[in-house]
Amino acid sequence: MPIRPSPVPLSLVVNQDHRAASDGDLARGLMAGDTRALAEAWRRYAPMVLLLAKRTLGSQSDAEDIAQEVFYRLYRKAKRIEDPHSLRSFVYAITVHALKSELYRKKLRAWLLFEQPHTLSGLGWKTVDMESRDLVRRFHVLLERLPTRERLVFMLRRTESMTVQETAASMEISESTVKRSMTRASNRLSRWIEADPGLASMFDAERWRR
Amino acid sequence: MTTTPYETKDSRALKVLTEIYSDNAEPATLVEIDRGLNSLLARVSSVNARRGRATWPIAVAALALCAVVALQVTSLIRKRMPIPEPSQLTYRVDGGRVLEGGYLREAGHVGVNVTFNEGSQFRLAPGTRGRIREVVKQGAHVAIEHGTATLNVTPGTGRRWLVDVGPFLVTVKGTVFTVSWDPLSEQFGLNLQRGSVVVSGPVSAGEIALRAGQRLSVNLAKAETVITEDNAEESGSDAVGVSVPPQPAKPEPSSSGASNEPTEASLPHAPSAKNGERRWSEELAHGQWDRILDDVKRVGIETTLAEASSDDLFAVANAARYRRQPDLARSALLALRRRFPSSPRALDAIYLLGRVEEFRGNGTTQAIARYDEYLTRAPNGPFAGEALGRKMTLTETLEGPARARPVADEYLSRFPKGSYAGSARTLIRVQSSSP
Repeated sequence: MPIRPSPVPLSLVVNQDHRAASDGDLARGLMAGDTRALAEAWRRYAPMVLLLAKRTLGSQSDAEDIAQEVFYRLYRKAKRIEDPHSLRSFVYAITVHALKSELYRKKLRAWLLFEQPHTLSGLGWKTVDMESRDLVRRFHVLLERLPTRERLVFMLRRTESMTVQETAASMEISESTVKRSMTRASNRLSRWIEADPGLASMFDAERWRR
Repeated sequence: MTTTPYETKDSRALKVLTEIYSDNAEPATLVEIDRGLNSLLARVSSVNARRGRATWPIAVAALALCAVVALQVTSLIRKRMPIPEPSQLTYRVDGGRVLEGGYLREAGHVGVNVTFNEGSQFRLAPGTRGRIREVVKQGAHVAIEHGTATLNVTPGTGRRWLVDVGPFLVTVKGTVFTVSWDPLSEQFGLNLQRGSVVVSGPVSAGEIALRAGQRLSVNLAKAETVITEDNAEESGSDAVGVSVPPQPAKPEPSSSGASNEPTEASLPHAPSAKNGERRWSEELAHGQWDRILDDVKRVGIETTLAEASSDDLFAVANAARYRRQPDLARSALLALRRRFPSSPRALDAIYLLGRVEEFRGNGTTQAIARYDEYLTRAPNGPFAGEALGRKMTLTETLEGPARARPVADEYLSRFPKGSYAGSARTLIRVQSSSP
């Protein structure tokens, strides 16, 4: 049988395993609009985003919404990634931005509708004893009283263990602003803890004072 | 953790609280990650399909205008009208007294009844250990350490009620329900007669929303969560003051002969339990899928399918799913259904079979059939929202948005805040705007 050239241009399709891809490869895949790269970015970074959002917002369902928003923005704005190897930082920056908007939105909503912001509802508890859960709930109420920027700085520095430089980069503010916000947040929280009768009874004021 | 010289050091109390707070947030489970990815991909694909229709500038302008008007009106109202302060919440205790720490001690053996001034009631069954943790203007926070209690919250007062029940937290507004917790057997039960509640705690879904007539049973020891439907009309008669003892997870009725079904106790030792160990569920929770699959390979697939317990089969199925081994996942799920037809896991298996069929490529039709079966047999089961959402997505792919529209409508009416709600709204919008 004679061999005839195909009328259709052929191309080689390589089945890329994105699980083994580097952050740089993933970022390039996202820039090209590849949904497989998005799926792998989700698998890689969604746990981090969900945990930060859960801690910041105190709600499982709100955290899930934020994660959806973050990765949708990541997909749509991937072309803005300047250094493909810094995908993690890019995801963090989007997350912080989304959290900031959500916290402002909640405050505005509370102001407009005269409603109290909801305190911690579905965090997915690790401890099962009521005392620890009560501590967590009370502390969350105090965190909700912090101004948005101070709250985010506190979360990034203390629960995510970010450095001042990393926090400043994620929040797009100067390092001195991070330090100032952190000091204010720390002072306010310490003061409120001492003034909270529920917390004061659990923490002997003299013993726990710095 | 590094602290720069310019930052104030945290007080010790703050340090301790921050550590407790950070450690308490549970990382996302594999189910959550999987579910989130599905929602994300569905959103991306629907938006990609609609790209190019730039109507958003008008929408944004209209929205901005509305926001400005709303701000002005609200500002005016706020100036003229003070924020209504709820009245102080007080309570009366009958049949016992309040001890230090808010603990309730019954005087006889008839239980304790706490009546609040706005009409709400908190009734402890005889022998129940409960306490009033906090009563403020905005609501009350009560706790049950073991036993059974009924709460009847007066609706419409805008107050928020929190009920700690062992490791669970029930968040309520106007509602009537009976709740029980047995710390020894680690069984939680909630029977909701009226209204709606949200239960959070150590359950796989993170948060479970219940509506009137539903009963939630959680067995922590067996890691089983079952939601069953009661007849709300019938259960309404025992709304207040009648207790329900802690009950084991109630299996769904099965059409097949359940009497021949082996129980966990009568089973031969599962492969993973041969040395008194039973780790697959634990390994699954820690993402050690390869270890489970290696065990299965070592013991033999046939032996595993024939002898493993329902929990172990479930763990094998999930490990195989996550490791992209749909044939093994399918076999494990089918074995689970065949050998434990009336167990709650068998119902979950129907849903998971749908997920496996989806993964097998040309299995869209079979997947939809599985989801339909799940929705018929467990209309309010823990995966009902997921099953309906997946069915909507697959129907749209297979038959187009017009055929998927009724499914989207049903989804939104049942799960308006579900993870597929955004996709459902998009589908309806796209379908409505198409000629």
